[in-house]
Amino acid sequence: MSGIYLTDRPVRRPQGSGSPLIRKIQRSCRMSLPEPDLALNLDVADYINEKQGGTAYDATRAIVKLINNRDSHTAVFALSLLDVLVKNCGYPVHLQISRKEFLNELVRRFPEHPPLRYSRVQRLVLTAIEEWYQTICKHAPYKDDLNYIRDMRRLLKYKGYIFPKIHSEDLAVMRPTDQLKTASEIQKEQEIAQAAKLEELIRSGRPEDLREANKLMKIMAGFKEDNVVHAKQTVNAELNKLKRKADLLNEMLNMSNESEIAENGTIEELYAALKGAQPKFQKIIEEEHDDDTLIQDLLKFNDTVNQLLNKYSLLKIGNTTAANEINPEVMAATPESNVGALSNEINLIDFGDDMGATSPSPTPNAPDLAAATANQNNIDPMMDLLGDLNDLSLSNGNGSGDLLGNNEPLELGGGISLDSNTDDIFSATSNKTASNVSAAPANTATTGTQDGSFDLLGDLTSSTGRTSTQTATKVLVNTSANLKIEFEVTRENDSTIKVKACFTNLGSVPLQEFTFSVAVPKSMQLRLQPQSDNILQTGVSEGITQDAWIENALSSSEKPLRVKWKVSYKMNGNPADEMAIFTLPNV
Amino acid sequence: MGNAFSRALGKLFGSREMKILMLGLDNAGKTTILYKLKLNKIKTSTPTVGFNVETVAYKNVKFNMWDVGGQERLRPLWRHYFPATTALMFVIDSNDRQRMTEAKEELYSVISEKEMEKVVLLVWANKQDLKGAMKPQEVSDFLQLDKNLKNQLWCVIGSNALTGQGLVEGLSWVSNNTAKR
Repeated sequence: MSGIYLTDRPVRRPQGSGSPLIRKIQRSCRMSLPEPDLALNLDVADYINEKQGGTAYDATRAIVKLINNRDSHTAVFALSLLDVLVKNCGYPVHLQISRKEFLNELVRRFPEHPPLRYSRVQRLVLTAIEEWYQTICKHAPYKDDLNYIRDMRRLLKYKGYIFPKIHSEDLAVMRPTDQLKTASEIQKEQEIAQAAKLEELIRSGRPEDLREANKLMKIMAGFKEDNVVHAKQTVNAELNKLKRKADLLNEMLNMSNESEIAENGTIEELYAALKGAQPKFQKIIEEEHDDDTLIQDLLKFNDTVNQLLNKYSLLKIGNTTAANEINPEVMAATPESNVGALSNEINLIDFGDDMGATSPSPTPNAPDLAAATANQNNIDPMMDLLGDLNDLSLSNGNGSGDLLGNNEPLELGGGISLDSNTDDIFSATSNKTASNVSAAPANTATTGTQDGSFDLLGDLTSSTGRTSTQTATKVLVNTSANLKIEFEVTRENDSTIKVKACFTNLGSVPLQEFTFSVAVPKSMQLRLQPQSDNILQTGVSEGITQDAWIENALSSSEKPLRVKWKVSYKMNGNPADEMAIFTLPNV
Repeated sequence: MGNAFSRALGKLFGSREMKILMLGLDNAGKTTILYKLKLNKIKTSTPTVGFNVETVAYKNVKFNMWDVGGQERLRPLWRHYFPATTALMFVIDSNDRQRMTEAKEELYSVISEKEMEKVVLLVWANKQDLKGAMKPQEVSDFLQLDKNLKNQLWCVIGSNALTGQGLVEGLSWVSNNTAKR
C-alpha cells in the first residue's frame, strides 16, 4: 500500500506530532524564529497550566531533547522556553526539572572535564541550574522534593564547572511571592502540587514511590479537611507576618525623618508589602464570612494599614506634624486570642488522635493561651519570623540561606542591620517571640521553655489583662472579650488532680447555653461533675463553676499535663466558640 | 512447526507489558479480582483507600494491574492514573441494581476523558454467583455501550471473582484485542 494515492481524507501537510503540546513546543523552538518568542513560550505555559496531568512531564522531556539538539539555535530557544515554564508553571514543572533523569539529560553534552570556554548552550544551562538552585531550591515550600537540582549543581562544581553569577533582579522573579493569599487560593495551589506529585510517583512506579503515592492519595482523598485547615492556618500566619510588618513600618516611620524615608529600602519594601496585600483583605473577608473574629480583626487591621499608608505618604512629602498625629495601634500583640482560636481549631481535629478522650462537658481549664500558641507555633513562628527577616535581608543584599541556618534570634536582628530597632522587632512580635525563644536551641533547655515563654508573654501582653501565676493553684486559662476562664488546680493524691473551672462573664450580655468541654491525654481518665449553671450572667465573678478530676495523672510524670478545652455559648443568640490547649501547672 | 511459529510470535509480542487500570464503584470487587488473578486466592480485603498494583502474567503478556479504590472521595483521583493506560477494566457489582446508574455515570465520565480515548474497555459484570445479579447481557444493555462508544473496543464479560469464572476470559480478551494495535 505504498505510493501516492488520494484518499477520502483531506490533503494536508503531515502534522509534526500527534500531541498539541509537542506541536506548541516545536512551534516556539523552530529555527525560523529570529529570537525566542515570549508569546509562543507563554502559550506553552498556559497550556500546561490548563491541562495539568502529564503535560509537565511530556513538555520537559521534549524540551530537554531540543536542548541537546546539535543545532545551538534550537537549543537556546528550548532553554528560553524552559525558563518560561519554570517561572510560570510552578510546582508541576519544578518537580519535573528536579528529576534525576531530566537533569542527567540536561547535562548530557557536558564533557567530563570543563572545556576552556563554555559554549553558549552550556553557559545557559549552567545559568539555569544556578538560578534554580538560588531560588526554588531555597525558597519553595516543597524544596525537599527538589534535592537533585542541588546534587547536580554540586556534582558540576566538583567536576570543575564554574557557575555564572546571577543578578539579583533575575532572582526576584522566582522569589516566592509574598502576597497574601486567601484560603481557597492556597488550597488550590496545594491540590495542584499534590496531584503533580502523585502522578509523578505513579509514573516512576518504583515500590517506594508507590508506597508514597498510596500515602499521598490518602491525604488527598481522606483528609481534605486537613488541607482546609492548613490553608486557614497559612492565611493566619501570613496575616500575622503582615501585622508584624505593619508594626515595624510604624516604628520605623516614627524614627525616621523624611530624607531617611526616601532612602530606606526596607521602609519602601514594607510599604509595598502592605499596599499589595490590601486588595486581598476583601477577598479573605468574602471567603471567611462566617468567622466573625477573623473579620473583625481584619477590618481593624485594614484600618491600621490605611493609617500607616497615609502616614507614609505624609512623611514622604515632609508633613511631619500631620504624620505624627496618626498613631495606629500595635497590631501584632492584640490578635493573639484570635490566633489562638484559629490554630486551636486545628488541634481539636486531631484531638482524638493525640489526646484521647474528648468529653462533652465542662471541666477545668488552663491558664493561658500562651501554652497553646507556644505549642502550635513552636516551629512555625520561628520560621515565620525568620522568613520575615529573610525578606528584609534580601533587600539589603545579604544572603538569606545563612540566616536560615542560624538559629540565634539576636543574630537575626543584627543581620538585617536594624540595630537600633532590634528590640522593637521583638516587642512587635510579642507572642511569637515567646515561642521563638523556645524554638531556639541555644537559649533554654526544652523543659524550661514553657515557663520562659510564659513570662515573656505576660510581660509583653499584660495589656490584655492576663496574669500568670505559676505557683498559685488558681491559674488563668484564657481571657477573651467575653469570658474569663480560670482553673483551680489541686493535687488530691499521687495520681489524681482536681480541677475546678471557674468562668466569669466579662461582657455585658449573658452567655446562653454555655458548655465547656475538655479532653485529657489517652493515658488518663477524666471525671466531670455537671456545671453549676448553663447561663453565664454578667457582673458575677465566677458565675459558673465545674469540678473535674483527672485520674492517673502521676505526680512523678515529667511531662507537663496538657489538656484541650473548648467553650461554646450563645451571645445574643449568636453561637461562639473558644478553644485552646492549656498546660496545667505542676501541683 | 506450530511451536516454532508461536515462539517467533512470542518473541515479537512476548515481552509485551501493558498497564491495566481497574476502576469501578466501591464494593464492586476490584481488589478481590486482582488478588484472585495474582495469587489465585480469595483475599478478604477492607475497602481500598489508595490503590494496589500487581503484575499478572498471562500467556506472554505482563499485565500491570492498577486497582484504585472506588469510594466516592477517591474517584476524583482516578484521573491521575489515566496516563499510559492500555486497557480499562471496569468492574460492576451486578447485584447492586440501585447503584447501576451511578456506575454507568462513573464509567462514562472516565471513558470520555481525552487520555482514555484510545484504551480498550472491558466491563466485568461481577458477582454473577449471586441470585439477583443482572446477567452480563442485561448489564451490557443497561450501559448502552454499543450506542455510545463508536471508536473504542469494548466488551462485557460476566465474572465471579470468588471462583475465578470469567477472569481469564477477560484477560485473554484484553490481550487479543490489544495485540492488533
